[in-house]
This record gives sequence, structure tokens and C-alpha cells, in this order.
Amino acid sequence: MVDDNSCAALYRTHEQVEVAIRVLQAAEFDIRKISIVGKSYHCEEHLIGFYKIDDRVSFWGAQGAFWGGMCGAAFFWMPGLGPVVLAGPLVATLVGALEGDMAVGGLSALGVALYSIDIPKDSIIRYEAALNSDQYLIIVHGTQREVERVYEVLVVSESTDVAIHLS
Amino acid sequence: MKPESPFYADSLQCLKASSLFNQLDTAALAGILKRGRRETWKHRRLLPMEEIWQRFHILLSGRVRLSRCNPESGRMITLFLHGSGDGFCLFSLLDGQPHDVMLEPLDDVTLLSMPMYEARQWIEEHPDFNRTLLPYIGQQMSTLANLAADLALHDTETRLARLILRHIDETSSAHIEPTLINDLSHESLAEMIGSVRVVVNRQLQHWKQEGIVDAHRGYLMVEKLNELAQRAERRLVSLPDNVPVIPTQ
Repeated sequence: MVDDNSCAALYRTHEQVEVAIRVLQAAEFDIRKISIVGKSYHCEEHLIGFYKIDDRVSFWGAQGAFWGGMCGAAFFWMPGLGPVVLAGPLVATLVGALEGDMAVGGLSALGVALYSIDIPKDSIIRYEAALNSDQYLIIVHGTQREVERVYEVLVVSESTDVAIHLS
Repeated sequence: MKPESPFYADSLQCLKASSLFNQLDTAALAGILKRGRRETWKHRRLLPMEEIWQRFHILLSGRVRLSRCNPESGRMITLFLHGSGDGFCLFSLLDGQPHDVMLEPLDDVTLLSMPMYEARQWIEEHPDFNRTLLPYIGQQMSTLANLAADLALHDTETRLARLILRHIDETSSAHIEPTLINDLSHESLAEMIGSVRVVVNRQLQHWKQEGIVDAHRGYLMVEKLNELAQRAERRLVSLPDNVPVIPTQ
């Protein structure tokens, strides 16, 4: 179960995502409350896989070893989006939405997962479009105070957009 | 909000369409967007003013109502209903104080939010903005004055008629759909005129039988504007300037 308030940020490259995660860690935010979504593009040219060492899940793809230390990770092929990699508590939400056969008009499975954490539809459509253009989405879950603090950290990073979604 | 944000163009467009900001040039609007934090609030999230009065908010989409509630009786009165392009927490912007009101989004809303000190700083940097801000504040005060006068002077039928007339587009022709209030529940309409759901429901049914309105769940359409204006005029000294008075045939 994740907090339904969230701070969502878009990044153009996975290096920018890694920097943002490190900054959040340095600011002592709980990494277990952070989710990342990104497309795993160029999959014909690179080895893709997951591995788990010492209870830390890592993803190996075009970006190299990445997203280690997140709680939960998954790889899905989604209609309209293609290969998508997720890490963090959003994975459980997505799987829950899939298992519960949840449907929200016009939204993909990822969209349904985002909708179930109270991100509104019009924002979801833009986030999916950004993911389609190979951007990355970081979502930090928490109380209103926590997500407001996260916003202050992420807004000065190299994000293209940062927003607070209050449930 | 950053210019490279996928939400930037739509937000700028919304400000350009707003009666509060449409006199400003693009550079000034960009200054607002730069200072603003994009937030979304879920439908029906209740926000006490003490949580938000230190920030100024501009609605980009959806509706928010500001209301007061009697915690003992549970009765509520809506003071303001804001739509896209409106700014709120205006009184706190002016006096730097919290006010005893509750905010409630009637839809999933998107808004720009900025600390009060930044909003004040922006206004200081753009003194021309006062030319639209002052009439906007005057309009808000007039809304409160109308509400107080309605509650003190008129019966429920008149208050409901006047509420609907305040939300119709004067330029529309035969069948007129009110803006902002057209899909509100009868309970929400009642809370805007200091009444209760059953009374509003009974009145709308009565008007429906007379062919004055077409009202059913989540839908309200004025069929006979003349008749409705007559109901609103009853025992009225004057109508607000923006309400057309149409002579009866």
C-alpha cells in the first residue's frame, strides 16, 4: 500500500534520473517510496534482464546496470508504449490493477496504475506521451508534507516537469 | 513550471483566456508560470484554509468552491465557486491572514500554486496588473454582497432563480445552459443559496412542470429565460448589471 499523495517529475535521460535519486537519497528520503518508469528502447541491440543480489533488484539494459535498490521492479510490454520498465511501489499498484481487472476508459495498464494513486487523467495522458518520447517518470509517494519537500528538491534538478498530486 | 514542461503551453493558454490575466503580455504570464508549482487536487478533497492560506492559487482546470460550515448542524454555505482561470485565497493575499473557509474541489482540478510572498512580489513587479486585479476583487466583493442580500431579502425560489441567472451566458439564445453550476447536485445548488436539497429539488421540479427549466440528474437547461427572470425579479429592487432583463411578451 502506498501513500496516495505523490510528487511526479519527468527527466530526459537516465543519468538525470540517477542524479535525482542520489539527491533524494542524500536528503534522506526513503528510497522505498520512490518509483521510476521508463521505456526500455533499443531492445533489439542490447541485452535486457533483471538480476537480484543481496535483496536488491537491478535492471540491465541499454542504460547498463540501473535502478538498483528499488523495492520491486518489473518489465512489461504495453500496447501503445512498448517495452516499459518500472521500479518501486508502483509495480505493486500496477500488478494489483492488472489482477483486479481494473479498467479506466482510454487508459493503458500503466495509466490505470497512475490513476489508482490519484493522478488525474489529463496528467496521465501527458506522462504517457512523455514516456513515449523516451523520457523517464519519477514518482515519490508520501504525505502532503513529504511530497512538498520532494518537490523542492526535484524542481531544482534537471527535470522537465515537476508536479504535486494530492489525493 | 518549466518552459519545457509538456503542461506549459496549455497552462499559458489558460492564463491568456482568464479574465484576471488576459491583459498581461506573454513575458509577464511566463513570470507567473515560472513561480507557480503545478498541483492537482482530487475531486472532493476537503482543504481547511489553515493548510493553504499561505499560498496563492490559480485554477487551470476544474472547479473549486469556498464555503463555510456550521460543525454542529453540518449546514454549509458556498461563498465562492471558482472555475478555470480564477485566482483564490485573494483575501489572504490582501491581508496576510487566514480566513475561516473550507476549500473543496468539485472536479479533479489542476492549479498553479505559489507562496504569497512571491505572488505579492510579482504584483509589485507588474503594477499594471492592478488594473485588472482591483475590478476582479470588486467582483468578488459584489458576489458576497449579492449572497448576503439574497439570503436576507428573498425567498428560496427567487434566490435559486437569481443564482441560475448569474451563471448564464447572456449571448445565448433559446435554450441556455448555465456555466459552472450546470452539473452540480441539488445539494450543492442548495448550499449556494442557503437552502436544503429537498427544497431545491422541489422547486426545480415545479419549474420543470412549468417548462421554465429542463432539469435532471447532472443537467440543467433554462428553457424560458423571461419566466426565470420574472421569478428572480419578484420583490427585487434591481438586478445585477450583468443579468439581462427581458420584457415579457
